[in-house]
This record gives sequence, C-alpha cells and structure tokens, in this order.
Amino acid sequence: MKVYDGSQTEQSDDEPEPERVKVGIAEYEVTTDGAVLTTSGLGSCIGVALYDSMTETAGLVHVMLPAADEMEEGNAAKFADSGTELLIEEMEAAGATVDHMQAKIAGGSDMLDFSEGGSGIGDRNVDQVEETLGEYGIPIVGQDVGGDHGRSLRFEARTGDLVVKSANRDEQRL
Amino acid sequence: MKVDVESLDTFNQLAHEGAEQATRAMTQMTGIEAEVDVTRITLIDRKDVGETLGSGEYTGVQFGFDGALSGDTVLVFEEGSADEIVEALMPGASEDEDMAKSSVKEIGNIMMSGFIDGWADYLGATIDHTPPEYIQRSGVDILPESPEPEDHDQIFLFRSNIRWAEEEVSFYIYMLPEYDPMVELMTDHADTDADAIPIDKLAAFNEMTRQGTETAAENVEMMSGIATEAEVTQISFVPIEDVPKQLSDETYVGTAVEFTGAPSGFLLVLFDEASAITVAEALMPVEMESDELTDQHKSAIEELGNIMTSGFVDGWANVLQQSVDHTPPRLVHDMGRAIIDPLAAQLGQHQRHAFVIDSKMKTDEVEFESEIHALPNEEELREALDDLLVDRADETEADSDQIF
Repeated sequence: MKVYDGSQTEQSDDEPEPERVKVGIAEYEVTTDGAVLTTSGLGSCIGVALYDSMTETAGLVHVMLPAADEMEEGNAAKFADSGTELLIEEMEAAGATVDHMQAKIAGGSDMLDFSEGGSGIGDRNVDQVEETLGEYGIPIVGQDVGGDHGRSLRFEARTGDLVVKSANRDEQRL
Repeated sequence: MKVDVESLDTFNQLAHEGAEQATRAMTQMTGIEAEVDVTRITLIDRKDVGETLGSGEYTGVQFGFDGALSGDTVLVFEEGSADEIVEALMPGASEDEDMAKSSVKEIGNIMMSGFIDGWADYLGATIDHTPPEYIQRSGVDILPESPEPEDHDQIFLFRSNIRWAEEEVSFYIYMLPEYDPMVELMTDHADTDADAIPIDKLAAFNEMTRQGTETAAENVEMMSGIATEAEVTQISFVPIEDVPKQLSDETYVGTAVEFTGAPSGFLLVLFDEASAITVAEALMPVEMESDELTDQHKSAIEELGNIMTSGFVDGWANVLQQSVDHTPPRLVHDMGRAIIDPLAAQLGQHQRHAFVIDSKMKTDEVEFESEIHALPNEEELREALDDLLVDRADETEADSDQIF
C-alpha cells in the first residue's frame, strides 16, 4: 500500500496533471495530493470511495466478497467489512477524521449470479459496505449499485467526484 | 508425484515476490514507478508459450540458471519501454545504440539477479546464473526455447506482468524451468496429506482439454462456415482475486453457464465485439444492414455459445469419465473483467485460489477470435483428477488414447 502525499510530486500551479493511480481487486490506495484513483471491471465487486474535504484526503478500495470471517484469509482489502474498515484506518493515518468522511459507492451488480434463492454476492456486498460505514457514522452521499452491468470508476481526489463508466450506458458523476 | 495447493501458492508467491524485488530494483535505479500486476503459474503446451506476445517488437535480457532449479528466464520489454528506462537511467543514452544496450543489460542484470536470488533464498540452495544476454526480437522469438520434457509437451511457465503507474506500456518476466526438477521441487515442498494434486494428471488433463476446445472450434466451423482452429489451451493457478485479470477491460460479447457434476464451476465463451458481429452474421441467413451489434446478432451468439459450451464440456466429461451438465447460457455483453468478476467471487466464497482453464481459437480468414474460460471448483477438480484412471494412479502418465 502507498500513501501519496504532496512531498512526492511537485506540481506547478499552471496546468497540474493529477497523477493516476490504479487500484486492483482487493487493493486500496489513499491520496492526499489530488491524485485520480481508478479501478476497473467491477461486476459484483464494490468500489468504496471515501473523501474528507477538510484535509482533501481521498481513498478507494475495491472489495470482492462480503465478510472476512467467512474465510481464513489475511488480505483485509478483499472483503467488504474489513476492506472498508482498513480504508477508514488508512485515511485516518493520512490525516483524515472519521467525522468529516463521506462515502460514495458503486458496483455490486447481480450480473451472472447463479446462486439459487437468497440474495447474491453483489447485494450482500452492498449491504455489508452500508453496514460497516453505518457503524462509523459515515454518510453515503452518492451511489450507483446493483443492476446487471459492470462498472469502472475514476475517483477525482481534488473534488471528491466519483465518475462511473459502464460498457453500454452513459457516464455518471456522483 | 503430487503437489498441494499450498505449495503451488508458495511457488506463485515466490515468483511474485521475485518480480516485485526486480521491479523495486528498477524503480530505485530509474525513479520509474512500476508495480507487479499479476503473477501466475501456468501449465501449457510448450509450443503455445508466448502466444500472447503477438507479433510486436521486444527487447529482452535473458539468463540461463542452474542448480536447485534449472532453466531460463527472460525480462521482456515492450517496444518503447526499454527506451524510457534507458532515458531515465542516463538521459540521451537511448540515441546511442551501444549505450542503450549496455544500460538495458545492466538493469536487466540487477533485476534478474534479485529475481533468482529470491528463489535461492527460499529454497535454501544455490542457483547459479549465466551472464545476461541482450536480445531484440519480435513476438515469441524473444522467449528462450522451451525446455523439452522427456515424455510430454507440457511445461510450467511463471509469468509476471509489470505495469507502470503512469504509462500504458508494460514489461514481463518469463521463467521457464525444466519440468522434472520443477515438479520434484514442488513435490518436496508439498504436504501430501492435504489437498494433493496429482501433477502429471493435471498435465494430461490439460492436454486432453485441448480436445474439448477442438470440438468447440469444429462446432463454430460447422455452424458458421468459418474455418476455426483451436490455438491455446492452458491451465493457470492464481489467487482468486487475480482471476479477473485474465481478461482486459475491452467489451466482450458471449455466454456464461454454470456447470454441475464433478467438478462444478463456471464457463465463459467470449468474443470481442468485432468477432461477435463477424461470426453472428455468418450464422444469419440474411445480410445485416447495421454494423452495430443488434439483438439478432446477440441471439445468434447465444446459440453459438450454447453449442460451443456443450462441445467443450462434453470433451471434458469424456476425459474425466464423469457426466457434466450445464445451465442454459446467459448472454453477456460487458467489460471483460466485470463479466468474470462475479464468477470468481462465487467461487471465492469457498476457495482462496483458482485453477483457470483458458482456450483460444481463431482463424486467418476473417477477423475472428474467441476465448473459452473455465473456472472449476478447486476441490472438486482435485477429486476428479484423483479419480481419473484410478487403477493406474501409480503410473505417471494418463493415456488419452485409452480414454477416448
């Protein structure tokens, strides 16, 4: 994991091109220097984007499965509960405070869900992220979840905007 | 000869960490931020190695290594990325051919020494390597000749993709160990009481899976009149979260099914959009006016996907001497990674790693390419392999003639 802060990149005031940082599945990134965090190919996975406008700290995690306690597993960023918690902690470590954090979430599609009866992984991922954010009192101020299509995300840390792209529909800005 | 899932995981991690160490060495020298995207162990027919490199121009630094593990390894730079590294190391040097060569060689030497030392450290043994050799070739020729196993055509390949933070260029580390010493090492590190995988049966299974792909290719040809050839069949072992990285973010059209039996799992038949249109129109009685993908194209793809799936699954069922059924196909038209992600997640509820079986078919006549990706339940695949020709389990080779 990396924390990108202002000391690493010098930016001129004229036309600063924000750094782009890719976030893979079961990975997260936190930035304090206005980088653009991207993640692609969310099916039932969810991208949780956190933003603290006071400190301009932004973080994005790409989680795959609902709950860590269902598996014996070390990678916290893979799960909706532990991944969201981890992102909150890393945001705090980078200077953000929970009270100022706002969340935007996207993904959790139920495409190609072959499970019979009960709710699918996409739905359960959404429920778990909502629950964990709720425990910390972090409001969800924008979301594009569910449906039967995939999504790719661009989280612009300068503004806190989360741009959602899909294969066959218009771009959305949350 | 058996290996277990944990030892496969260990070796995958070892290759991954070696690649990370090599990449860090490069970042230190050049300041270029790069990260190892994915590392996978693949069991593949030696003649299919490097097929994904296409016909591009590459620069490479190659080593032979010998000792606890022997074989060849090569660092492969896409055209342009080698120049950028040279420039970062010594501005202006990419203009001077000799200087550029020696810079690439130097970087390669440091990177790959780290890569090989990582293996030696873990194995607690010595691995020697030859001096680096600078090479510039196109496509698959950049890779060293695959080692020749004595009695079959399957080899292990370790491949790491390394991506640059800002750029769309990437480079790769290929490692091609000799089969027998590799299997011996994995066997030594296996805890054979748990999760044992009969490695030679896995190789035989892979060879035989090709027949499923061939049947699927024949089905395409029969229905569309497009002469189609099965190109590559490989089985890879990756952490479950790396499964979606098998596919790009391009939009694909195709079908997905869940198959049940021994093993159960998921199977995708995918076409890029251009190929989907080509093949769908070959299936349709009337000429289409639009170049866009229409519902008619999609229903033709659905039908074709169904028949290709059956061809593939039947071939597989024959090999395993099991009946394997599948659900009706569901049509998908979406970003590649988003298509495979829910399937990986469904398996990921019960397993941390996955075997992914990938087949490709294409034709030279028209623009047409299709991929099949199967994701079997790991434990059930292991059991099915174990049962494969169980009375011959002491023999290392499963004989395809005996099965078909």
